[in-house]
Amino acid sequence: MKIDKESIMQSTTGTDLETQIAFRNFNFYYGKYKALRNINLDIYKRRVTAFIGPSGCGKSTLLRTINRMYELYPDQHSEGELLLDGVDILGKGTDLNALRARIGMVFQKPTPFPMSIYDNIAFGVKLHERLSRVDMDDRVEWSLRKAALWNEVADKLNQSGMSLSGGQQQRLCIARGIAVKPQVLLLDEPTSALDPISTMRIEELVSELKDEFTIVIVTHNMQQAARVSDFTAYMYLGELVEVGRTDDVFIKPTDKRTEDYITGRFG
Amino acid sequence: MATMTEHVSKRFDSELESLRSRVMQMGGLVETQITRAIEAFVAGDMDRMEQVIGDDDQVNSLEVSIDDDCAHIIARRQPTAGDLRMVMAVSKIVTDLERIGDEAAKIARMAREIYKRDRLQMPRLTEIRTVGDIGVNMLRDVLDAFVRLDVTNATRIIREDMAVDDHFRGILRQLITYMMEDPRTISTALDIIFIAKAIERIGDHAKNIAEDVIYIVKGTDVRHIAIEQVERHALSGDA
Amino acid sequence: MSTAVSLGRIRKLKNALALTIAMIAMLFGLFWLIWILATTVELGVASFSWRLFTEMTPPPGSEGGGLANAIAGSLILISLATIVGTPIGIFAGVYLAEYGKHTWLGHTTRFVNDLLLSAPSIIIGLFVYDIYVARVGHFSAMSGVVALALIVIPVVVRTTENMLQLVPNTLREAASALGAPRWAVIGKVTLKASLAGIMTGIMLAVARISGETAPLLFTSLSNQFWTLDMNKPMASLPATIFKFAMSPFKEWQQLAWAGVFLITLGVLTLNILARILFRNKHKQ
Repeated sequence: MKIDKESIMQSTTGTDLETQIAFRNFNFYYGKYKALRNINLDIYKRRVTAFIGPSGCGKSTLLRTINRMYELYPDQHSEGELLLDGVDILGKGTDLNALRARIGMVFQKPTPFPMSIYDNIAFGVKLHERLSRVDMDDRVEWSLRKAALWNEVADKLNQSGMSLSGGQQQRLCIARGIAVKPQVLLLDEPTSALDPISTMRIEELVSELKDEFTIVIVTHNMQQAARVSDFTAYMYLGELVEVGRTDDVFIKPTDKRTEDYITGRFG
Repeated sequence: MATMTEHVSKRFDSELESLRSRVMQMGGLVETQITRAIEAFVAGDMDRMEQVIGDDDQVNSLEVSIDDDCAHIIARRQPTAGDLRMVMAVSKIVTDLERIGDEAAKIARMAREIYKRDRLQMPRLTEIRTVGDIGVNMLRDVLDAFVRLDVTNATRIIREDMAVDDHFRGILRQLITYMMEDPRTISTALDIIFIAKAIERIGDHAKNIAEDVIYIVKGTDVRHIAIEQVERHALSGDA
Repeated sequence: MSTAVSLGRIRKLKNALALTIAMIAMLFGLFWLIWILATTVELGVASFSWRLFTEMTPPPGSEGGGLANAIAGSLILISLATIVGTPIGIFAGVYLAEYGKHTWLGHTTRFVNDLLLSAPSIIIGLFVYDIYVARVGHFSAMSGVVALALIVIPVVVRTTENMLQLVPNTLREAASALGAPRWAVIGKVTLKASLAGIMTGIMLAVARISGETAPLLFTSLSNQFWTLDMNKPMASLPATIFKFAMSPFKEWQQLAWAGVFLITLGVLTLNILARILFRNKHKQ
């Protein structure tokens, strides 16, 4: 218990907070509809930041701007600044594919590609690096171990990724994301389609991965945000209502709207 | 915090409401216990003293059962923010209330000792009565502050506890004087000191409860900090 | 209580009624299908022999003879039309589903494709006759290939587009999120995910052109003799069946039934083959 407390203190206090991602006066539009208003937010390196809020509040939208996923849809656009390590990534000059190699993403529903477990992981790596067969084998094993899946799939790497269970598929997707060696990992409600035990595995994984990656997680499950995150941002109607250390937000939020939401008074 | 909208879960609302009202029930019981103990002491009413000692069981079982309610709410509802602070604070408040109940029983027991002896030497009963009234009022006020989530009054109670401490020291000095003047009063005086001490402790517990009320409302832990700082915390911002 | 019971009874009655109607409709359809198949098998098997594959179509009134030149012709025409039509169809389908979804060109292409899909094949035959046969001055196998390819393309475009649309967007996003460029997302992920569906579409197209007669009458016509020359008229099963079935000669009519049987058998084999192929692929 004591050790636990200390590690929490270390990870959430301490003076070594370094901003990895920063939103500055950021707005986002679906067509003419303004979905995000004037977001100012710092996301810290090697910390877990959770976005919470009711459905439609813009938390997923905000997450998906970080790797500019919205570029796939022509009617969506953004305004303001989005800094990754101090560099604005919203400009036309940004190489999207290189950007996405630095920012991994895992989705609500597991999305294994229609290929073998091995190829699922090698797919992303091949896009950005030329590795020998041996190095690729190592990389696949490394990422599967990181995603706590190696023991379960080591002897069936040639089987289709679709043949795994939901929880395993999701860990495969996490392995696929980290195989590219990104700096940031975006998790969009990664456990909403999973059973409680699989959910716990993923949560456990998140707390292990934060030693190496900056993690941003969107979740409907407030307890999950409370369990896994160091920082929590509460969003409502496209606005960032409150952001702070998770302990503070869950014990004494400063905004009445945050309090109403996290105590279940949201009407 | 002053006005809270209802939870989506009505049952959660009613559970929290019942928790609060059971604290008030326990508070009322404890208040009666002290009042009776002091009255019995002043009037020398032996039956009442026995009654106070006997009723302490009720206070104890209320503590256990309210604590159990807190554990249930935490396990089933995973309360957060204001709700979490409320449940945490209630769990501490019932401990303090139970201790106050113990002090009442202690007063009754001491009084019984005194009256079993020859009651020829009976100094300074009025002083005890005064400080006893202050203690009872503090308890009543702090329960009121708890129900209304009234930070201003809670802060005032914390300050009042210092007055109770002063009173206690005054009583102590006077009793020491008595004992020096007339050594026959020593054993009775010592018992009275214990009673005064018990009342002083009631003030301390009331102060703890007041601090819990501030924690519920403000989320700031004001234990072990100077009163000026407490006031600054408590009266800052939106109260 | 009694209303609840009677409501429940009405619901059960409705259910039984709907089920009965559905069964009748199904039996009606099945009846004709089985009749057609039975006739085909009965008459086809009766006139079936190995000579069909070895001997050429006979002159009118003579005994014996087979369908060798027509079978070969059909195989050549069908495979060439598939080879030409499939890639065009897939590319166009990919364009419609992945790139031109909401563009003006996309909408127009989709509309024209739908027209082409529902156009009677005789019109396609006539069209190819006009732009190819009439200009070259003679019927040819090549023009037959063009006509059949024109029938293959819209079917493949449609199925490719539909199958790609069935691929969940999250799969595209997942691949893009790894930093995959558009071509890799499509080529390595979405097309792969919809491969089974697209192959089914191709099978469907092959099955359809296997039986097409009308366009061939204007293009590759028919040929009494064996030829591999793409610039000459070429025999095909449907055209031969058409010619022989309409003729007054008993031998020709029997050969026509044998041809019908062969086409049916061929299409059936193709379908079964495709299914087995894809079942294995999915298990792996």
